[in-house]
Amino acid sequence: MDLSSILNASLIYATFRSATPIIYAALCASLTQQADILNIGTEGIMLTGAFAAVAISYTTGSWVLAIIVAMLAGLLMAAIMAVANIKYGADICAIGMGINMFAIAITKFLMTSVFGMRGTFSNPDIVAIPRVVIPGLESIPFLNEVFNGWALTEWFVIVFIVLMWFLLFKTKWGLHLRSVGQYPMAAQTAGINVTSMKYQAILISGLIGGLAGAHLSLGYSRLFTENMTNNRGFMGVAAMFFGNAHPVWTSVGCLVFGLTDSIGARLQAYGIAAQLVLMLPYIVTIVVLSISMVSKYYTKKRRQSSLLLIR
Amino acid sequence: MNNTIEKIVKVLLTIIVSFLVGAIFILIIDENPLDAYTALIEGAFSGKLMFGTTLANFTPLLLTSIAFAIAAKAGAFNVGVEGEIFLGGIAAAYIGINWTFLPAPLLYVACFAGAIIVGAAWAWIPGVLKAYYNVSEVCTTILMNTVAVYLTSYLVNGPMSGGGVNAQSADVAVTLKQFMRPSSANVGIIISIIVSILIIVMYYKTSFGFKLKSVGSNPSFSDCMGIDSKKIFVKAMMLSGAIGGLVGCIEVLGVHGYYLDNFATNLGINGMLAALIVKSNLVMCPPLAFFLAILRTGALRMQQSTGVPKSLVDTITAIFIIFATMDSLFNLDVFKKIKRKKPFDTKLAKGVK
Repeated sequence: MDLSSILNASLIYATFRSATPIIYAALCASLTQQADILNIGTEGIMLTGAFAAVAISYTTGSWVLAIIVAMLAGLLMAAIMAVANIKYGADICAIGMGINMFAIAITKFLMTSVFGMRGTFSNPDIVAIPRVVIPGLESIPFLNEVFNGWALTEWFVIVFIVLMWFLLFKTKWGLHLRSVGQYPMAAQTAGINVTSMKYQAILISGLIGGLAGAHLSLGYSRLFTENMTNNRGFMGVAAMFFGNAHPVWTSVGCLVFGLTDSIGARLQAYGIAAQLVLMLPYIVTIVVLSISMVSKYYTKKRRQSSLLLIR
Repeated sequence: MNNTIEKIVKVLLTIIVSFLVGAIFILIIDENPLDAYTALIEGAFSGKLMFGTTLANFTPLLLTSIAFAIAAKAGAFNVGVEGEIFLGGIAAAYIGINWTFLPAPLLYVACFAGAIIVGAAWAWIPGVLKAYYNVSEVCTTILMNTVAVYLTSYLVNGPMSGGGVNAQSADVAVTLKQFMRPSSANVGIIISIIVSILIIVMYYKTSFGFKLKSVGSNPSFSDCMGIDSKKIFVKAMMLSGAIGGLVGCIEVLGVHGYYLDNFATNLGINGMLAALIVKSNLVMCPPLAFFLAILRTGALRMQQSTGVPKSLVDTITAIFIIFATMDSLFNLDVFKKIKRKKPFDTKLAKGVK
């Protein structure tokens, strides 16, 4: 096996490319997690966004409009979840799974009944998110391979991570949100409207989830297939746990999954069974999630015991 | 008693509302909802084939809904039943193909035991991770489902392939009798009914059942009372996984007679939906599983005789869940003479650690 054909310059972009949809999903999950709401519905929000983006891009031919409608579709799904969870006391896991099932079913239903397609929705009329070609970079061998031809949303995700970090840790709104997550009673005593903050968190995460879907169907690829998110939403949730809902560390977790994914894709050329390769990112996700939670558990335990000694 | 009636009325209301929403979807695509729903119900009962198919669909749904519900009783959200079905199925197929040196009755026992053990072992992993290290079981079980799908797919395409064109294993040496040919209804339905009754009796009448209930409602209280909540949690997950493995075995021995790649897609998820709609009430799981089985079977007929695609049924079931999970949506005053006031800030107090 030739290592240099697996670990080369194009691996950097391949890693980033397969990590980006997961990063968006993970940011969607970490925003609500900061308000102590486990966003299991990320997957469904993302899937709806992906479908809406393709449908709008196909009918209008505008990728900007497609992204906007995808985000609104995500917002709608998130709104259902928010009302059910906050107003009507639905268990967040149950309603989240309900949203996921609903997303799979409704996209399938609309795809067959409105667009008359079965399985996969791909068409030359679908306009993808444009790729950024940096002039003057073609002549530089390494940088050209790594940085040229990224989709616009792939560049945007870097800005977005920083934006999220700023929003959560450097603004008043972020402080309020985190206080709602950590100690809702104290937050309420301080005059923060807890219910309203929770609504805002879920709704904004719906917008992000819609964007994640739009990127998946128009930036990462240029088609829609049944259940195309393929558990990326849950990988995002796993990355969120890994990074403790901190945008930067969460994204690092996503890059690990992206790296496994793209190395796996290269291993397939060496005769390793496709199923084993496809399985790899999921196993790595489970292992990374478990290790991070176990280490968190021991850190917490150590802190607890030292406190007991002081007492 | 009044409480039970209220629960049943709530489920019926949910069903009616979901069908109304479904009717709106049908109207949007220019079809007649009444025709579609008539075809849906007729399709499930007309003729031996369709009724048999309904029974065949009911068998795994019953067990998977019970599997999800029993884990939920201990506070676990086990989405992983599907993965356990796949692995239980492949274990049963492996034993059924390779251990032919055993006499037939023993081979049956070996197949079932193998499937149950593999299913329980698979569920043990997320159980331990959640109970001792607080790793979200929703996340791990869902990701492990995908792993199970790929793992079994690899086995049945590679080492365990039957050599044919399709991705399937060789025929197993023992099968469960099919009694309503040409449908695939088989004696597995009797096994699943017996197992469900046993689980229900266990939950309501034994001390283990009581421990499950106690751990599910308040783990720290259970710890104080001398019930090891973590151990019970893991046991509940393993029980749930064992039932999942059993489903896999019944499907392989009863329906197919060999291991078919991707044979259990959505079986576990649909069972989970049934359990979620009735809020994991074990007694109400069987009727709801039967209802969902009717919908699944009738969906095919509906698609053939009207222009409504069968994915509409999935949409309606998903809407069920969304309405069913909203606890206080159908809190009508009819049930409560004095409107119960919500205690102030219960939700906030829950967030305090």
